[in-house]
Amino acid sequence: MRPSRLIRVVVAAAALPQVVTALAPAVAAAQIVAIRGGTVYPVSSPPIEGATVLIRDGAIAAVGADVSVPAGARVVDATGHHVIPGLIDAMSYYGIAGSDLNETASPSTPHLRAIEAYYPFGAFGDGEPPDSPRSEDLLMGGVTTHYIAPADATVIGGQGAVVKAAASTFDGLVLREPAAIDMTIGQRPAATFREDNRSPGTRMAVIAHLREQLLRAQEYQVRIEAWNARPESERSSSPPPARDLGLEALGLMLRGEIPARIQANRTTEIREALELAEEFGFHLILDSGISADAVAAELASAGVPVVLGPISHPFVSGEEIPDRDEYPSPDERRATRLQEAGVAYAIASFSRSFGSLGPAGSGKWLLLDAAMAAGYGLSEAQVLRAITLSAAEILGVEDRVGSVEPGKDADVVILDGPPLSVTSWVERVFVDGVEVFVREP
Amino acid sequence: MRTSAASLTLVAALTLHVLVDPSTVTAQDIALSGATIHTAAGQILEGATIVVREGKITALGTDVSVPDGVSIFDASGKTVIPGMLDNHSHIGFDIRDVNERSTTFTPRYRAIDVLSPDERYWYDAVDGGVTTIVTGPGSGSVSSGQSAVVKTWGDDWEARILDPSGGLKIAMGAKRPHTGTSMATTALLRERFIQAGEYQAQKDAWTEGGEEGPAPAVNLDLEVLADILRGDNRVRAHVHSAHDILSLLRLKDEFGFNLTLHHATEAYKVADEIAAREVPVVGVPLFIRIGLVEEVMRAPAYLVEKGILFAFHTDDPVVMSKHQRYNAALAIRYGMAPDDALQALTINAARIAQVDDRVGSLEVGKDGDFVVIDGPWYELTSRIDRVYVDGRLAYDREAEEDR
Repeated sequence: MRPSRLIRVVVAAAALPQVVTALAPAVAAAQIVAIRGGTVYPVSSPPIEGATVLIRDGAIAAVGADVSVPAGARVVDATGHHVIPGLIDAMSYYGIAGSDLNETASPSTPHLRAIEAYYPFGAFGDGEPPDSPRSEDLLMGGVTTHYIAPADATVIGGQGAVVKAAASTFDGLVLREPAAIDMTIGQRPAATFREDNRSPGTRMAVIAHLREQLLRAQEYQVRIEAWNARPESERSSSPPPARDLGLEALGLMLRGEIPARIQANRTTEIREALELAEEFGFHLILDSGISADAVAAELASAGVPVVLGPISHPFVSGEEIPDRDEYPSPDERRATRLQEAGVAYAIASFSRSFGSLGPAGSGKWLLLDAAMAAGYGLSEAQVLRAITLSAAEILGVEDRVGSVEPGKDADVVILDGPPLSVTSWVERVFVDGVEVFVREP
Repeated sequence: MRTSAASLTLVAALTLHVLVDPSTVTAQDIALSGATIHTAAGQILEGATIVVREGKITALGTDVSVPDGVSIFDASGKTVIPGMLDNHSHIGFDIRDVNERSTTFTPRYRAIDVLSPDERYWYDAVDGGVTTIVTGPGSGSVSSGQSAVVKTWGDDWEARILDPSGGLKIAMGAKRPHTGTSMATTALLRERFIQAGEYQAQKDAWTEGGEEGPAPAVNLDLEVLADILRGDNRVRAHVHSAHDILSLLRLKDEFGFNLTLHHATEAYKVADEIAAREVPVVGVPLFIRIGLVEEVMRAPAYLVEKGILFAFHTDDPVVMSKHQRYNAALAIRYGMAPDDALQALTINAARIAQVDDRVGSLEVGKDGDFVVIDGPWYELTSRIDRVYVDGRLAYDREAEEDR
């Protein structure tokens, strides 16, 4: 069910005639690219020096030190350079206008879909029409896939999506939608409604409200299933239960088709999220999780992964002056502690527009941010995994992206220096085998 | 006002920091040997030794003998840089005390009257190698008061204060909170400086007239401005847009005060105008949290090329002060020479804060404030191992990670 997206593309095309050409595939179907001579970090296996990555038809065809390059292939010399998978930002609000991040009319809006606010066409009305949808800021940081979602000012924000940073068409961007239901518990939503003297205005009320939404969704499922179970004759004589798009979306989650992503920071709220997941039987991904390391054993035994906020600053909520009470004891070693406890985790940017100073602090900083974790106990390989393959696994798109392996999408980044050095730059980015970014000298 | 050792120990316990308890050590004599020492005074010394006695640097170089009895820390393979400064921070404030939004113009307010010596975020600064900060009220009004220059660690609060009157904060732009436009903010400042001149003239006339009759009523706000007009105090201006920077330069031309631009996001657009007046810039934090556009990321390197005296800041809590070092790292990424970037964290920052006689570089006679790092000082993957303030160990990574 994607009519709105089609309408958006059509409207954009009508407004900017040049965009029409962008709807034609930009990939020559049989193009072969060989990235040769670099140090390749497949992430799923140890780095290989002087290796070749062979790309055919938008997918990775071969990786190794002795891969032969077919005649007619375009050869990209990566000698002395470093080749990594396209990075994955497992939580970002990039591409969503600040005014579209939070629908605060109601504390829970599970029927809202982030994809319907997503705008990967540059600034509105600004500059040259792009050849096709692309998120320039992400590509320059080597990010080729990211998760977008409604933000965290309310309890149930809505449905997130996994999208690529470039494609020839808008539909081609979408890897998974809906990919999860995004929720927030704790002080952030409580503060939103407390300001207006509305409920839920306390942490207690937030949890009670969320539990009620989940109960309503369970009951709705029961009603639908009961109606579906009726004989055809009865069903034709009485109307079905009225549709409720929000409860339908929560139904996907309760049936295990998509996970819940719950942003929780204090240990109390993290435990509450674990309890709700147990009680209602949904798959949980913990977002931000400032105190996740303090409950790492519980997360590990529940098999709950964590999408950590940035290593360099723990404040994922975007206020210029962060509420430090909501982010207790931020510690750069929390990724290391999750690693040691056997908890699956990704490091994400949670990027969004910052105060009045300008555009979103975007995924272009993801690699630099994660690099800091290497100073706090993670190995280079662990840092890279947290922003590639682990992120893909948590997002449920590891069959497509996250490593440089035969069969996966050819999303590959060439760096001019070691991946974790502050002076290394992204030189080239390929998405689905298409060169979508080349750094200008 | 002296912090009790008991309260400091308590705070350290609450924040789970294993910091060296200042109460258990006296001013120390310490030597570090074998390090690569960046003096920020024109030298990078390989395999060098630094000696501190009674909190002051007494010797520094590759051919230095350590006096008997002075304990030596083997810093072979480590990098040593001066303790960093942060020219714009709000550490020590209860965040509710930063902005008095009911008023527009209150130079009489003083940070030094409300700073809390045992606020937990001082430790963030120490962990990050920031040993001296300029902390002050916020940008919620046209003038929110006076800042203070303070060391971030030490058991003697009064000894930590390097300058209780570290400059008057003013904030340009609209809505501060009773000025509806940038024009109104600039006009208000112009009027106040004129009034301060008149106020001073009245006082001078009274003095010159033999102090006859009642003295003119004291106006605490105009006293501060009069100090500034005489050159006894200075202006630290919160400003982002190029047109507000130009307004400040105009005010400086008219009234001749000592001015530093803070944040100065668009300084690169009017760099020649700033350079011509030799106005220093404390540049907007480049840090990842803010995510500035590329032009602004390149600005620090450009401003330094233009000969502008430049320093970094964090605006803690906007960016945590422990991340000050990474502002310089990102400036290097965007074209600044590493030595220039280090100076913008240390000696040039100290010049702007007017405490370069005490801190900001490693030179004989200066305070023993320095940072030991386990790799190149600007790499994100390098970690701070130790921080010394006045020759005393203020942060020890090994002790913290063993907890």
